[in-house]
Amino acid sequence: MSERSDSSEILNSLEKYDLDISDYLPSHSGPKLVLNFNKITTVSEVEGIILKGREIENGIIADIVIKEGTVFEDPIHLCFGVNKETGLQEIFPRIIAEDNSSVTLQAHCSFPNAKNLTHKMFGHIYVGKNCKFVYNETHYHGEQNGATVAPVSYVYVGENSYFENNFFLTQGTIGRMKIQIDIYAFKDSRINSNVKAFGKNSLDSIRVRDAVFLEGENARSIIKMKAAAIGGGEVMMFGITEGNAANTTGHVDCTEIVKDRGSRCRAIPLIRATDESCHITHEASLGKVDSAQLNALMARGLDEDEATDLIIKNML
Amino acid sequence: MSSDVLLSVKDISIFSEDRQCNIVDTISFDVIEGSIHSIIGPNGAGKSTIGYAIMGIYHPCSGKIFFEGENISDLTITERAKRGITLAWQTPARFDGLSVYDYIGVGVKDKNLIEQRVTEALEIVNLNPDIYLKRKVDANLSGGERKRIELASVIAMRPKLVILDEAEAGMDLIVLESFMDIFNKIKELRMTILIITHREDIGMVSDNSTLIWDGKVLANGSFRDIMVLYCQKAGLKKICSRTLFNQFDESVDKIIEEETRENKI
Ligand SMILES: Nc1ncnc2c1ncn2[C@@H]1O[C@H](COP(=O)(O)OP(=O)(O)O)[C@@H](O)[C@H]1O
Ligand SMILES: [Mg+2]
Repeated sequence: MSERSDSSEILNSLEKYDLDISDYLPSHSGPKLVLNFNKITTVSEVEGIILKGREIENGIIADIVIKEGTVFEDPIHLCFGVNKETGLQEIFPRIIAEDNSSVTLQAHCSFPNAKNLTHKMFGHIYVGKNCKFVYNETHYHGEQNGATVAPVSYVYVGENSYFENNFFLTQGTIGRMKIQIDIYAFKDSRINSNVKAFGKNSLDSIRVRDAVFLEGENARSIIKMKAAAIGGGEVMMFGITEGNAANTTGHVDCTEIVKDRGSRCRAIPLIRATDESCHITHEASLGKVDSAQLNALMARGLDEDEATDLIIKNML
Repeated sequence: MSSDVLLSVKDISIFSEDRQCNIVDTISFDVIEGSIHSIIGPNGAGKSTIGYAIMGIYHPCSGKIFFEGENISDLTITERAKRGITLAWQTPARFDGLSVYDYIGVGVKDKNLIEQRVTEALEIVNLNPDIYLKRKVDANLSGGERKRIELASVIAMRPKLVILDEAEAGMDLIVLESFMDIFNKIKELRMTILIITHREDIGMVSDNSTLIWDGKVLANGSFRDIMVLYCQKAGLKKICSRTLFNQFDESVDKIIEEETRENKI
């Protein structure tokens, strides 16, 4: 298969998430780092942003530095595509956002033909003081439940900075997925972490561990995890928040919908406070689709399956 | 059954497992096609329960419900909706992520008409489409906004029968008159309306009423007669919404006054 058709297949999977393909094309002038399996095909830097990729045995090391004071509106694109059926891809991103910078990183992990494909990521993100850093990671694992995906990220968020994490895996099948993200929040920082996942059959299994450690005073966080498991899929979510400094506030919210025999959802909110001025809360709801919502849609003529699909599609 | 009866509720009783008794007991009434029919009664009387039974959410342990002459007692909610029945909830559900446009459009059968129907319905309930179409039917809407959107979704669907469960509750009372305009619009669109309310000023628009008390039908009749009975039952000598009642040719207040004078109450 040619390079061109390779990349178009990967790009097409973006459309399922309403992301604009044109932002990702090589001709687009924005900062980007594009991989085809373990080869770097495009690196383009812009002023204030350093992007360096180095190929290693089964993957790459990606170094990204956003220089002090850089404010960049368009997203920086990282495209980790594999359109082989089998193989191993290991990515080591090391990202530094210097003080007073403001950026959005859009990572797109697409494995449209995965049959026995493993993608691992081991990432570190260091966010300085007074920054705004949005990290979006959007996955597409094809339709054959053939991916094993295990991203691990450690994020350090400096004083008075805002960090947002949006992890979405709602299109196509999941395969086997294990996500771990640990976020350390320092003084006056704010964290907003959102995870959405949709398991569609018995070969889909997802485990998410989303943890925020509020280490500096006045740090605040919200973790929102939403998942649906249908057709025998399995979803397990750990939402962890620890308040380890004065006046920290954190909330964990897990919502999971289960439908059909054999589907399983589990949510384990784990909250801990080591200072009496912390305020850490959690909320979890698991189960079938809310009957009031179902009734409302059925009273307009949808049948139960149509109503369930609409509710899940919009929730995720 | 007369041919202009759209809905006929015959002797339905609904049993509560929790309370081990009937919440509503042998309820019967007819709703005439093209009319506004109100179910009136105090809080907890069983009004919503009756509405839910017609929609198919609660299942009566005895009795039957006929719609256009067909026994619909065993039909699902969806089947009843497809026959032309819908309900606007007293406390409508909220949906994460669902847009106002998609919610209101859900009941529109002809997909080519969705945009037109949704916009028109929002205008009827006095919500600016430019603002509301972009919003979500989630917890960020106020109670009043959510109720208006509920009405709009019913209007866009164009059912034959709409059950409005306390449609006015949670909306500002100042707009009561514009609320009457909404009823008139629904009527103009040739829908039959079953209003469930505990407010006499809302019931006033109705052609016929059923008074529910403690889960039983106390009377079926004209709204005025029913109100007199309601006030007697409730021990009320006066009716609060005087201005609106003044629009009546014979004020209910006056009747009560007369009857009080004659020591009937
Ligand atoms: N699912 C239920 N289980 C037990 N009791 C119920 C249920 N639904 C309603 N009720 C009770 O039945 C009575 C009538 O309720 P409802 O129909 O909501 O009254 P209304 O709409 O007239 O205020 C109330 O006492 C209410 O608490
Ligand atoms: Mg009620």
